[in-house]
Amino acid sequence: MNTINADAVVVGAGWAGSILAKELTEAGLKVVMLERGPDRATAVEGAYPESIDELRGAVRHRLFQDLSRTTVTIRNKIDQTALPYRQLAAFLPGEGVGGAGLHWSGVHFRAAPDDLALRSNVIARYGSKFIPEGMNLQDYGVTYEDLEPFFDKAEKVFGTSGEAYRVNGKIVGNGNMFSPSRSDHFPLPALKDVYTASLFRKAATDAGYHPYSLPAANASRQYTNPYGAQMGPCNFCGYCSGYDCYMYSKASPNVNILPVLRKDPNFTLITRAHVMRVDLDSTKTRATGVTYFDLDSNKEVAITADLIVLGAFQFHNVHLMLLSGIGKPYDAKKNEGVVGRNFVYQTITTSRAWLPENHFTNQFIGTGGGGVAIDDFNSLNFDHGPHGFVGGSPVWVNQAGVKPIAASTIGGGKDAPRWGAGYKKALVETYRHALAIDAHGSNMAYRDVFLDLDPTWKNTYGQPLLRMTFNWHDNDIRMNRYVVSKIEPIMKELGATKYQLGMLEPGQTFDTRLYQTTHLGGGAVMGDDPNTSAINRYLQSWDVPNVFVIGSNAFPQGMGYNPTGMVAALAYWSAHHIRTTYLKAPGPLVPV
Amino acid sequence: MSRVRFALCSRILPVIMLTAVPTALCCAGLSAIAAAFAADPTGRPANSDPDLIRQGEYMARAADCAACHSVRGQPPYSGGVPFDLPMGRIYSPNITPDPDHGIGHDSEEQFARAIREGVRHDGASMYPAMPFPSYARLTDADVHALFVYFRYGVKPLATTPPASTIIWPLSMRWPLIFWRGMFAPAPQVALKTTRRTFPDTTIARGAYLVEGPGHCGACHTPRALTLQEKALTAADGPLYLSGGGAVDGWHPPSLRQENRTGLGRWSEDDIVAFLREAGAPLGSAFGGMADAVEHGTQYLTDNDLHAIARYLRSLQPTRMPDPAWRYDPATETALRQGDVTARGARVYVDHCAACHRDDGRGYPTVFPPLAGNPVVMDDRPDSLVAILFKGAVLPATRTAPSSFVMPSFVRSLSPQQMADVLSFIRSAWGNDAPPVDVETVRKLTPTGGAPAIREMPLN
Amino acid sequence: MALAGTTAFWTTAAFADWHRALAAEPATPAAPRYFTAEEWRFLDAACEQLFPEDETGPGARTLGIVTFIDQQMDTPYGRGGLWFMSGPFEQGPANLGYQLPYAPREIYRLGIAGADRYCRDHYGHAFADLDHASQIAVLTAFEKQPILLGGTIPSGTFFEQVRTNTMEGAFSDPIHGGNRHLGGWVMLGFPGARADFMDWVDHYGPAYPLGSVSISGETV
Repeated sequence: MNTINADAVVVGAGWAGSILAKELTEAGLKVVMLERGPDRATAVEGAYPESIDELRGAVRHRLFQDLSRTTVTIRNKIDQTALPYRQLAAFLPGEGVGGAGLHWSGVHFRAAPDDLALRSNVIARYGSKFIPEGMNLQDYGVTYEDLEPFFDKAEKVFGTSGEAYRVNGKIVGNGNMFSPSRSDHFPLPALKDVYTASLFRKAATDAGYHPYSLPAANASRQYTNPYGAQMGPCNFCGYCSGYDCYMYSKASPNVNILPVLRKDPNFTLITRAHVMRVDLDSTKTRATGVTYFDLDSNKEVAITADLIVLGAFQFHNVHLMLLSGIGKPYDAKKNEGVVGRNFVYQTITTSRAWLPENHFTNQFIGTGGGGVAIDDFNSLNFDHGPHGFVGGSPVWVNQAGVKPIAASTIGGGKDAPRWGAGYKKALVETYRHALAIDAHGSNMAYRDVFLDLDPTWKNTYGQPLLRMTFNWHDNDIRMNRYVVSKIEPIMKELGATKYQLGMLEPGQTFDTRLYQTTHLGGGAVMGDDPNTSAINRYLQSWDVPNVFVIGSNAFPQGMGYNPTGMVAALAYWSAHHIRTTYLKAPGPLVPV
Repeated sequence: MSRVRFALCSRILPVIMLTAVPTALCCAGLSAIAAAFAADPTGRPANSDPDLIRQGEYMARAADCAACHSVRGQPPYSGGVPFDLPMGRIYSPNITPDPDHGIGHDSEEQFARAIREGVRHDGASMYPAMPFPSYARLTDADVHALFVYFRYGVKPLATTPPASTIIWPLSMRWPLIFWRGMFAPAPQVALKTTRRTFPDTTIARGAYLVEGPGHCGACHTPRALTLQEKALTAADGPLYLSGGGAVDGWHPPSLRQENRTGLGRWSEDDIVAFLREAGAPLGSAFGGMADAVEHGTQYLTDNDLHAIARYLRSLQPTRMPDPAWRYDPATETALRQGDVTARGARVYVDHCAACHRDDGRGYPTVFPPLAGNPVVMDDRPDSLVAILFKGAVLPATRTAPSSFVMPSFVRSLSPQQMADVLSFIRSAWGNDAPPVDVETVRKLTPTGGAPAIREMPLN
Repeated sequence: MALAGTTAFWTTAAFADWHRALAAEPATPAAPRYFTAEEWRFLDAACEQLFPEDETGPGARTLGIVTFIDQQMDTPYGRGGLWFMSGPFEQGPANLGYQLPYAPREIYRLGIAGADRYCRDHYGHAFADLDHASQIAVLTAFEKQPILLGGTIPSGTFFEQVRTNTMEGAFSDPIHGGNRHLGGWVMLGFPGARADFMDWVDHYGPAYPLGSVSISGETV
């Protein structure tokens, strides 16, 4: 077997991996970054106009995970047989350099401070009995104040557009009044409102809510980030989600970090390298490197390194920990063990309004991160006492550019024909005159929702697939229904000719066939207690301290906000502590 | 850049052959002289002072040696850059200090003669792809630094580039002697022009860099029928840097102060930014110039870049009359209202406006403006046709590490559509260049080669 | 460099390759690549029912949707290369997704044969030879009732496969063989591959005025 030596090996070339690789090379380490997919360049496959191809892009999954090699199995309940997720649908992990950070939309939030200590806050406000039986509600172990410098850094690297509400305690603009104070403004001003967002802004105001511009890592003008990497301006082409931005205006590792990182002599990127496992020494408390399968030579290759960073997609990080024996696997029956525990998702439902025929919503105009939102029903911004559920949901118009094949899937909305002349008529009316309002909400963690290894199905490398046990729970369904009911006043202010509210139904079962969101989380969560978290507050494995696990796997529950901003801040936070503390004295950053 | 520059020679050589044949009988005598040079013993050992090596490395970049002597992905200066000529292909030589495969045996005197006079250590004449008529101006100190760098600062590499495929008698180099004698200045004469009087020392430094190592005129000065540059310095008259002949599809524009077609509206800082980062508010580098920035000018010091800019801004316009360009908002107003009735306007909004905008102002320095861009208003549309066919990549530089791509439109635009859209951009927003007809596009269609994107670093 | 695939070809191939490829593109739809004549007849009729020519806009025949589906059968997608196709294949509740061992091209082969047999059994003719009302009735039954076509393919699976690919054929870029002359996009009001709305973001209310354009440069 070939062996490569490095100071640090980083698994995955998405945001988490690229941020860590950049930080560690800055610290003088020789870093090897492994990516199982191909290299990806805007100049080649992202170029205009070839990349503006919905069929090849979002529909045939140009930038998404190649399921033919490996997938997961899914079941709703612990007594079911989980079956393979054979076709991409409900969620769409990325593959190739840039990872999901290349095909994401660009919504770039900071975390809501209350969400980071949700368990403590809920207990403080409503008492511990408010937490439903079976819910593993937990704190992150970090505060907004801890992370603020890293949220700020990530926004500057990403070239995020937005409007601040409060900077250094002083109200400075019309941003989100529920958002915490910031140390600085957004690096770029907010994007323009598309028509539907402007309607939502007005209607939400008239309904008594507090709309704000979504923070978007889609540059509102040309931008040069602190690394010197340049972005073009977003021209609202609508090809963000599922695509590589030909305008270089959506932040991605490829545009914002790798142009600089690739030139660093201490940095090596190896693509088409599928990591099989982290190699541990005989004590199982120290990693010696990783072994990957080289897709070109069809051979296994070992890399030895002092420091291992898992920066793959959320569930791939968990999968690698389970395959490698890092941390105690979660046992749902006993609610013990940590790897696989607190697997979470988000609750996403879309409501729709139709405008009069002389109002064209031009839904193809848009940007992935842009739009107008309200936070009146997110986090702990409202009184949960009367409702008896934990969690919340921002509500927004986020017109990311509706392409025609996607529109044909939506059709004419609920109750419209699915084919034939009636279908066509309703489809065209909807495409031309409708607008969508989403409730993009939290999803709590439960004892019976978790990740483990599947006993039956294997990937092409002969390793057991990861098994997801997931279903919707009453708490989150009721949260979603409550928040969606609060959209109704907005619908009335919009001047809609008709509207349909989309919400989860009581008892609804998770359906793998319909796209919901790729915002999967948890499974190897951060925290202060090694009995309920797999990694400490610095995202360091409790059990194998030279392994750091970066990603949304760290989230103890699914928050209302999109995860990328939090993942990036956690990556910079972890990197900061690796650089300032760990590298000087390698070992646990938090005593066990 | 290398290939671009050398395409000149494909036109030079037939002319030289014709003039040389009647004097072929002198051949024997000349060979004897050449042999004498080859036998010249190696000169005294140069010192390998690190400062001198650094100075030499800097001059090598100012002289853009890498453009012709380094292949991407191969060790620096190991040669092997191919040049396709009508009579065959030649490859640039290995100029690393390897004694057998490179120039490690050359004395400093031989080295200097090669640089300044285009004479190899074996006495053979170089093809004038090597810009020795400009390098003739290099000071002794700079030549010495270059020699020390190429002896002690470059890693020797024992590889020989592929052999030339030019067959005898076309492979004979001796007729080039006459070209050199007629058109290349003797070093003593050239050095004298370097020392001419300038308004200040900054402009003097700029002149030295542009006229000497930078050899800007090799592309940007028009050439005579015998293909020597019509002016080698600003002192030779107003044709110097007034725009070269089209080479390899690209048409190097004037670097003089014409308002519309030259650098008349470029500030000193614009020129500095262009040379350092390949992108400036009024235009971006493409074609051969992208290589020149990537290999050469991005490494120059602030002082030297400002000196170059100050010097270029001192060159009076050649083209007269020279009315000032003014932005005309009519096109923008029409396009923003969805009016695409003008010739080429629909093609423009369908394929170009995404990056260059309805107002033609682009998003500099990421995507360059077409409104007021001197290249767009150049009399000759060669570069515009070439970029539609080949695309372009803004090179990554030290201070601007991102490289942006303009795709090739060969697949989506017909020659007629290309003619239409080029005519559109040449007359929109206050631009005033003549239209382009479809025959011109057909005539300028590249016959081979891949889009520029292929060889560029990924981003 | 691992940049295989069509885009890499289009963006890095030499001009000569491009021109050759373009010249090789037939002016009229090619002969079927995958479907038999009988299968084509089935799809021609079924797709036209799913996406009929009417006052809203062009139908499946005009848009070349069967040509599109036929070409898709000859891609990694058609061969099942985009799906996890390792066994064992166990059936489970519908919400856990597709669990059959068949790639799209096999779903079509088995499904069309089974569907035509169903039509002969119940109506005495192949699907393409049924009257309008019977075709609608058959498709409705396939969509909503648990019928096993040819003993292998659940009719719902087959129906959704055809429906999904029909919509893709109506609305994907014409470079893929459907959406002929951008008829599907014009019907919707989708501008296509221009992909630039910088100067149209803040025009609130009116319809976007410019016609559609394909990646190939074809316009209306």
